[in-house]
Amino acid sequence: MNSHAKISRRNFFARVGQGAALAASGGLVWLYLLKQQVRASPYAIRPPGARDEPDFHARCIKCGQCVDACPYDTLALATADAGIPIGTPYFVPRNVPCYMCEDIPCVRACPTGALDPALDNIDDARMGLAVIDIENCLSWQGLRCEICFRECPVQSEAITVEHHPRRLSKHAMFVPLVHSNACTGCGICEQACPTQKAAIRVLPPELVQGQIGDHYRLGWTVDTPITRDFNAGGGATGADTPATGLDYLNEGPL
Amino acid sequence: MDLTRREFLKSSAATATATAAGITVPAAALAKSKQADAGVQWDKSVCRFCGTGCGIMVATKGGRIVATKGDPDAPVNRGLNCIKGYFNGKIQYGKDRLTRPLMRMTDGEFDKQGKFQPVSWERAFDEMEKQFKKTYQDMGPHGVAVFGSGQYTIPEGYVMAKLMKAGFRSNNIDPNARHCMASAVVGFIQTFGIDEPAGNYDDIEHTDTVVTWGANMAECHPILWARVSDRRLGNDNVKLVNLTTISNQTSDIADLEIVFKPGTDLAIQNYILREIVKNDAVNHDFVNKHCVFSTGPYDIGYGMRGTSKYAFDAEKDIQAKELVVTLDADEAVAQRRKPGEKVKQNNTKKPVKHWLITYEEFKRGVEPYTLDFVAELSKGDPDEDLAAYKQKLQELAKLYMDKNRKLVSYWTMGFNQHYRGSWVNEQNYAIHLLLGKQAQPGNGAFSLTGQPSACGTAREVGTFAHRLPADLVVFNPKHRAFSEGLWKLPANTLNPKVGSHITKIMRDLEDGSVKWAWVQVNNPFQATANANHWLKAARKMDNFLVVSDPYPTVSAKVADLILPTAMIFEKWGLYGNAERRTQAWRQQVNPPGEAMGDVWQGLEFAKRFKLKEVWGEQAVPGLKAGGFEDGKLPDVLAEAQKMGYSPDDTLYDVLFANKENRKVKWPDKSVAKGHGNHIAEKLDDGWFPEKALFNEYRQFGVGHAHDLAEFDVYYRDDVRGLKWPVVDGKETQWRFNEKYDSYCAKGSGFDFYGKALKALPSGDLDKVTTPDKTSLAHKAKIFFRPYAAPPEQPDKNYDLWFSTGRVLEHWHTGTMTRRVPELHRAVPTALLYMNPDDAKARGIQRNDVVWIESRRGKIKAVVETRGRNRPVKGYTFAAFFDEGVFVNKVCLDVTCPMSKEEDFKKAAIKVYKA
Repeated sequence: MNSHAKISRRNFFARVGQGAALAASGGLVWLYLLKQQVRASPYAIRPPGARDEPDFHARCIKCGQCVDACPYDTLALATADAGIPIGTPYFVPRNVPCYMCEDIPCVRACPTGALDPALDNIDDARMGLAVIDIENCLSWQGLRCEICFRECPVQSEAITVEHHPRRLSKHAMFVPLVHSNACTGCGICEQACPTQKAAIRVLPPELVQGQIGDHYRLGWTVDTPITRDFNAGGGATGADTPATGLDYLNEGPL
Repeated sequence: MDLTRREFLKSSAATATATAAGITVPAAALAKSKQADAGVQWDKSVCRFCGTGCGIMVATKGGRIVATKGDPDAPVNRGLNCIKGYFNGKIQYGKDRLTRPLMRMTDGEFDKQGKFQPVSWERAFDEMEKQFKKTYQDMGPHGVAVFGSGQYTIPEGYVMAKLMKAGFRSNNIDPNARHCMASAVVGFIQTFGIDEPAGNYDDIEHTDTVVTWGANMAECHPILWARVSDRRLGNDNVKLVNLTTISNQTSDIADLEIVFKPGTDLAIQNYILREIVKNDAVNHDFVNKHCVFSTGPYDIGYGMRGTSKYAFDAEKDIQAKELVVTLDADEAVAQRRKPGEKVKQNNTKKPVKHWLITYEEFKRGVEPYTLDFVAELSKGDPDEDLAAYKQKLQELAKLYMDKNRKLVSYWTMGFNQHYRGSWVNEQNYAIHLLLGKQAQPGNGAFSLTGQPSACGTAREVGTFAHRLPADLVVFNPKHRAFSEGLWKLPANTLNPKVGSHITKIMRDLEDGSVKWAWVQVNNPFQATANANHWLKAARKMDNFLVVSDPYPTVSAKVADLILPTAMIFEKWGLYGNAERRTQAWRQQVNPPGEAMGDVWQGLEFAKRFKLKEVWGEQAVPGLKAGGFEDGKLPDVLAEAQKMGYSPDDTLYDVLFANKENRKVKWPDKSVAKGHGNHIAEKLDDGWFPEKALFNEYRQFGVGHAHDLAEFDVYYRDDVRGLKWPVVDGKETQWRFNEKYDSYCAKGSGFDFYGKALKALPSGDLDKVTTPDKTSLAHKAKIFFRPYAAPPEQPDKNYDLWFSTGRVLEHWHTGTMTRRVPELHRAVPTALLYMNPDDAKARGIQRNDVVWIESRRGKIKAVVETRGRNRPVKGYTFAAFFDEGVFVNKVCLDVTCPMSKEEDFKKAAIKVYKA
């Protein structure tokens, strides 16, 4: 496979592009680049420890030292055609995933803290979040695949398998599920996925994650013993509160 | 260390994942989970919405509900909630929450034509009292009325029932639960002699077969349906059958879906009964020991008015059927008569009477219900192949008859809201009794309930026009005497004349026979069928209407006085769910502004009446009862004085804050645990009304197979409700089954010990032949009830069926759920579900706005031809939560003549582009 060479070549062009951009940084081009970053960056899968996008862009000087430090040539600097702000480091998991080096050389190499030096355990990295297309995932159809589960470096935490009944036959299905509390976004699952196009993909979490309302707890996740000595204070608004509902009550047809 | 919210979510997700995957959670992660909610105070409570009765935990901080969760210790739901339940924490905080009493005023005086203005509670009660006393003096106890609720807490229902019946001597109190399960009650009382189900929700895990009849459990009892679905998944021996008129989400997981024509459920039931007889699948031992056969009159009308005086012109053809019915071809076969025969409806006044028949007569009754007859009559989908449909009916009968199969039948509004609602209830018991599949784990006919305390309050406390607590009734002199004893009332204080049911209260407002009414915990002007009549009656007639509500509703809008009312977590309360489980909660926060609980409103109003104003002689037109002068309630003041009461004592002192009840002190040392009680504190009389009144109320049931535990028991940390009868501290799982129910006679095996209607004359299918009464103590009745056609059916002009009902996302008239922005965003309006071919034939596209027009009115709605409900050709559906699409302006106020419950499911409409 010549992806290594290709990436190196891209690497070269990227640095040329970066140089040109810096040379021409009379303002307008730089502004153009910043605008492009704002528009395009939600889709980028960044190296481990990359800060939130605005913060990351404020710090990243596109020096390429993380790319150089990566022993697997996972990382590249974006070229103009990458759909990602030019010169910023990123990776395409389906080509080369992050292998989760324990010493995290890319972060150590970053001179500006765009990759947060506080990241000292690669399991805490959140490069992205794996998402399963259950319509095309073979395991969700009942085939015994579960490659993603078995290949996952945080196996049984980031990806688990549940056993679901399969009404079409007497066989149980082994369906993979991803858990955001443990998934680092390394992309090994995406790279390994055996379907023609990967049925598990790494995406930036903010593109895919919802959030349960603050007003609710999942019943079985937190212990909530009945309060022994209840404090009933607070909250009373008492008399002379303004009357509400009058517009509805006094106006309009029945 | 304070956790950020992100960390909290992360750590709670970790425990969830670990639990799902069967991994032990590291201690550190658990500790982190626990810390996340530091500073909030948790307490157990109950979901505000449906009759399922899910347990929840409620978190407060700084006098505000900050969170809820499903209670993992609650046996009903084990920590889960549906999407309505998920929003319990938000329902109290709608922007237009009412905080002040509002009265229609002009120039500082009450004026029926005036605009609402804020007034003090004192001023509000002054006007309410003045108007009440005027009407009471002019018209007597039945000139006033209360629209009660299946969402009353037990103490609320008890206060209002006692105030009306013992205080004002009026039986004109009836709950919206009449619209919900009155037919189920008639079914229970006539079949078993005692109300409420034999079984419980654990039947789901015990059974092999679940048959739903007119119950979209997937949307309307979502958490129970999750239990049923779990039973079905991965267990191919378990079968689910959905009988419905509209294909819905409950059909999605069903093994067999039977779409039938509205009203023909009765014929299908009789087909099953006939199959059981023909195939000798009868459990003769069970039937001989524990059952008798019975029937009643057919000519009972449809619960409409007997006069056309108040009908709109377009309604008169349907109203005429109340007097004379011309039998159609199917009815003729089903009732063994001639097609076209004109049948005078002679038993509209006594539809509930019934008599014993022999098994041979019963067999003769079901004989006409052959597969061919019933299949042609009942097939709902015009495009379905008749042979395929027949096969489905056969399959259904086989499932019922299979001796190796346990079977539970569930139903709700499709049965109860039915012009023969009581009959279809009874026919399901008939099937189960004939097979001996009743009152055993996994075997039984089970009536699901709509409202959170339709059972616990409306039925058990007896906030109906004919009921007293614990299945007692006002027209039974022994029951009245017992109640007068317990309530320490002079003899003949209680009124023996049954009051107006909820639809009749509306009719009374329209014809001027009720002139003062109080609406509590419901929204009847949106929720009652044929609403145009009642809206007009509220605004145009000379009457005074009080509405207690937390929010401005349709009913509030047509009221004269609005009282701002506390909501669930702002007060102490208890609810009783569909499986006889009584559950309790404490007040968590104070109500906003000047809002006050319904218990307080009732008690404050009681303070304004002296005995001499209500316990003197009272006129009750139409009263006729042994020991009473016609049309009159006697003066009982002299007797009252002998009992130690003074004519100047108030109803508050006599009925509520009496010597006994004042011994129950507030502040409470046993269960309050620091929680407030805005009602006790505002009364400031040193007593604890909810506890005192609950403990007084429970005396009605103790020793009478309705035993409730003491108040404090329900508040114990380790109790998550108890299923009555609670005997020697033990709840009852399956009633009438000796193995589980201590009320059964020793050695009986099964004992249908209910006491009501247990001595009957005998006869044949058509009439009584032997008036002498036979005792049928300890037995249940197997009824024969013939098919009767719906009074209104599609015709050339109104060519489509229309049914209303619910969606999962909204509760009843949307008063609470439409104030939750997320639910409103998800389902902002009620859509008219129709078949795509029907739409096309009318030049209507999906999302078009259309007029829906019936004999009674017309409304606008958006058409939906896809999605959750998939009507076959000729059928339409729209939910009733949306006051903007006011479906009850279109619905028909036909009722089951026995239960007086309205049939919201069978109106004829036409639909055209707006």
